[in-house]
Amino acid sequence: MLRQMDNKISSGEPINEVEALQRLQQQDDPSQRCYAAWWLGRMRSQHPEVIPLLLKALEIKPTATEAAIAVARSAARCLGKLHAKTALASLIQALIHPDHGLREAAARSLGEIGDSKAIKPLMERLLLPGADEPVGNGLHLGEPCEALLEAIGQICITNKFETNQDFQKSLERFQHHNRPVVASAACRALLQINGNSKWAERIVALLKDSQLLVRRAALLDLAACGWRPAAEQIATCQVENSLKLYALRGLLEESPDNPGPVQLGEREKQLLALMDQLL
Amino acid sequence: MNQQLNRYLLAVEQACSAETLVAATLDLVKISPHLPLNSIEQQAAINCLITLLATNNPGAAGIAVGGLIACKTAAVQPILNNLDEHNYGARAWAVRALAQIGDPRGLAVLQRAIEQDIGPSVRCAAAMGLGRIKLAELSPEEKLETMEICLAGLKLGCADGEWIVRYAAVVGLENFGITSSSSFAQASFLLLQARSQEGIEEVPVVRLRAAQALIAFN
Repeated sequence: MLRQMDNKISSGEPINEVEALQRLQQQDDPSQRCYAAWWLGRMRSQHPEVIPLLLKALEIKPTATEAAIAVARSAARCLGKLHAKTALASLIQALIHPDHGLREAAARSLGEIGDSKAIKPLMERLLLPGADEPVGNGLHLGEPCEALLEAIGQICITNKFETNQDFQKSLERFQHHNRPVVASAACRALLQINGNSKWAERIVALLKDSQLLVRRAALLDLAACGWRPAAEQIATCQVENSLKLYALRGLLEESPDNPGPVQLGEREKQLLALMDQLL
Repeated sequence: MNQQLNRYLLAVEQACSAETLVAATLDLVKISPHLPLNSIEQQAAINCLITLLATNNPGAAGIAVGGLIACKTAAVQPILNNLDEHNYGARAWAVRALAQIGDPRGLAVLQRAIEQDIGPSVRCAAAMGLGRIKLAELSPEEKLETMEICLAGLKLGCADGEWIVRYAAVVGLENFGITSSSSFAQASFLLLQARSQEGIEEVPVVRLRAAQALIAFN
């Protein structure tokens, strides 16, 4: 059975929903469970058994094996893609797991689900002592700050959540972080929350950063905010065209200026023309 | 042979870092379109640009594609002669160049790309290119056959799983509908109409672009 699965993957054959569910349910091969969770998320599966299975995969002990953690991360990501409201408590619980990658996946998914009840626990992690300082080999920070900041901004904008000065001050602490992607994430959240163009300008400046990863992150942050004044800079930024097209789509669809379905006005025509040139 | 060209060709050959290769490619791209059409010089420049597509340097390859596009039809036959079955990256760049140039000789490559290329960005370039094939110099029979292939490819592009390919197909159809004869224009109109509908197309920006294209039709 397992060998058959391997053959199918290596030859790139598509699997179906039933098969993906079987793979998620079996306990022998964790890599198959990871793949199944990814597949079900990508396909936006609506099958009633999916979410219970994912929640089960997410419930792991702090001492779980690497393999179990990998499955849990994959399950957490899938729950976000499926906008699984019933996963709220489990994902919040995952925010305190010792594994950095699982906390990051949980934070991102909480952002995608967009329930304002997640704001407090996300903020608590962000404000832990040492949250923004490198740990271990220096690869990660104490907490997945970029994901936490993005999730907070996303939930605030989804719910038009009223924030006070203290709340925004807590985020502003990260605006000068020495990792540009964290600073950009903080500016993104603040831009989503208060719409002040000074935050957008900070992100736009990063479009010219010498590192490709930073330019990409800044581009995606502007896209998430639907910040249309940056369209021309996005179109000429030194990143792949496919990413620029994705970002310009974000500007058209996520603009805070005109909520509701996008209509064909003068600015929209300009944005479409920018996209056409990138094909 | 042109001294300046010789220097540039040599600079590409001898470039020892990614940066110097990009700089040398930029120089070559600047003069290539201005060399005498179909001269030995221009062919040498074009061949050099084509070899750059196969180097593992996206910066240089992207610039080289721009140079090939600027050389227009003069670049088409050399690109077709050098298509590398085994180098995916180089093939993807070649599709982009052919899509932009719009020469009917590139049709088979674009058709194959929209039908079976695994890279969304390559299918995207092919979809856009299928709407830009220049029909003017073809015989009536060739024209008909070309339009049939273009329409079939654009129809495939409209049904692609990736939104960006569908977007490119909409842009392609807008162009194709304007330049092709009436029955093909009518078919393009119907495909665009479908793409503009929420029940059929889930991505707002694709619907918006289709709506814009429909306005251009009327």
